[in-house]
Amino acid sequence: MKGDRSKAVTLWTFVTIALVMLSAPTLVVLGASFTAGNMITFPPEGLSLKWYAAIAGATDLRDAFLRSVIVATICTAISIPTGTLAGIALAKYRVRFAWGVQVYLLLPFTVPLIGSGIGLMLIFGKWGLLGQLWPVGIACAVINLPFMIWAVTASAASLDPDLELAAANCGAPPLSTFLAVTVPAVTPGIITGALLMFILALNEFLVSLLLVDARIVTLPVQIYNSIRSIITPDLAAISVVFIAVAAIAIALLDWLVGLDIFLKSK
Amino acid sequence: MDALEAIAAAVWPRSFSAAVPWLMLLPAVVLVGLLVLGLWDMADGSFRTLDTATFLPSDDYSLANYHRAFTERLFFTVASRSLIGSLIVTAITLFLAFPYSYVMVRTRSAALRKFLLIALFLPFFIGQVVRAYGWLIILGSQGMVNEALGLVGVSPIRLLYNYPAVLFGLVQYMLPFAVLMLAPALTAIPEEMESAAGSLGANWVRTFLHVVLPLAKPGFIGAGLVVLTLSLTDFAIPAILGGGSQDFIANAIYDQFFRTSDQGMGATLALLLVAVGSMMVGVVFALFGAGTLAMGRSK
Repeated sequence: MKGDRSKAVTLWTFVTIALVMLSAPTLVVLGASFTAGNMITFPPEGLSLKWYAAIAGATDLRDAFLRSVIVATICTAISIPTGTLAGIALAKYRVRFAWGVQVYLLLPFTVPLIGSGIGLMLIFGKWGLLGQLWPVGIACAVINLPFMIWAVTASAASLDPDLELAAANCGAPPLSTFLAVTVPAVTPGIITGALLMFILALNEFLVSLLLVDARIVTLPVQIYNSIRSIITPDLAAISVVFIAVAAIAIALLDWLVGLDIFLKSK
Repeated sequence: MDALEAIAAAVWPRSFSAAVPWLMLLPAVVLVGLLVLGLWDMADGSFRTLDTATFLPSDDYSLANYHRAFTERLFFTVASRSLIGSLIVTAITLFLAFPYSYVMVRTRSAALRKFLLIALFLPFFIGQVVRAYGWLIILGSQGMVNEALGLVGVSPIRLLYNYPAVLFGLVQYMLPFAVLMLAPALTAIPEEMESAAGSLGANWVRTFLHVVLPLAKPGFIGAGLVVLTLSLTDFAIPAILGGGSQDFIANAIYDQFFRTSDQGMGATLALLLVAVGSMMVGVVFALFGAGTLAMGRSK
């Protein structure tokens, strides 16, 4: 084709800009975590692991991280049954008012995060639940639930209804059919969804910020509070935990369903 | 197992079978119901003004908060700053996202495709706060860029806590969303169309302008509306990279609740933002269905 060279050069110029923008913060945080200096400087003052040793001893950061893990675990534990049942129901049955149900279940996506966060804060506040961690987990499950349902319906679409009929035909009672045929068929979707729910809840910042108080800050909130005062390398070291978890999640996702799934058109 | 089946049959008899899908949907409906209750509470609060004598919300209802929201200078400034900002962010993001999606979809190298996907997902999964923290290290007054400039004798430039810094951070935050929403639209365009345009004498610029971009239009509209809504309603980037001087609407709402303690006013602003945001996302869903996020039977 004519001008293939100029096309490649133009495209790659923009792709490079985008790649730098996407990766720069991650790479810089990684680099800063290994600095030997007491300040983050450029060029770095040599390599050391001292900030990793520092965070291992910093109880406030460690507790904040543990709280984030608890929130993410609660969120995942709630979303797996909730999202799986809803996903299978939407994919398998001809539900009346299906369109309305979908619109309703997509509400967490259409309502901006600050709106959801404030709303849940008012409700939990009225019920006297603020100041505890589990409502934060529930809130994370609410705002990200569509991801879980989507993952399950996407894999339930490939479920052959004849398989369930065959199971029933062979005398399997309904619950056995559900547990032995239906659930295994959507397992890839459940795993994908659970992974998304966990990582999104682990990273959740705004809703956490609204729902926690000073005694139970989660890690993103802790980092946010700290960078407003002074930027020290221990924050970079603890941020690497997020980067590592994200990398593991991507590797798992790629291994389980393949990242290419996100490029497919319906 | 038999015992379990017996229990299941007892609590869930076959005659209930029509209700089965509804029972399965029930937990999700309840969970999202919390959100609906929250919105209801916000609506209620938005009609109550703050009693400055007691610092409690008033008992009687009025539209005073809405009147303030549309007339007070501060809210107008914040709203227009957010709206203009998110429009600029949308334009730049789409401009950068298109070549990225295009290369990712069209490349013959599976390894390159995977690399581009990983570069996209990594920041997406890391979260906004850590990313913004990375930008503080890079752009701060003692940050990498300024230190590097210092080495060649340029005095430090203030790169943070201004409007461009917020917009820059938002573009970076939005890129993965835009690329992931554009990619399926580009995948759907047969490559032969481009070859055909080429063999008829069009150069690649004309092929892009007259073939690829028009065919990818739905993808652009979808990605554009999502980016517009998400950047309009963002909190973390304006808060961290704007340093308090570049508040967007979400920051103003937060301040109403946690600084001025005027819950009614905060609820009013939040509800107005919810209305605008839901409308924009609603348009996307109405135009294209929920697209990749469609839940339910494949048609």
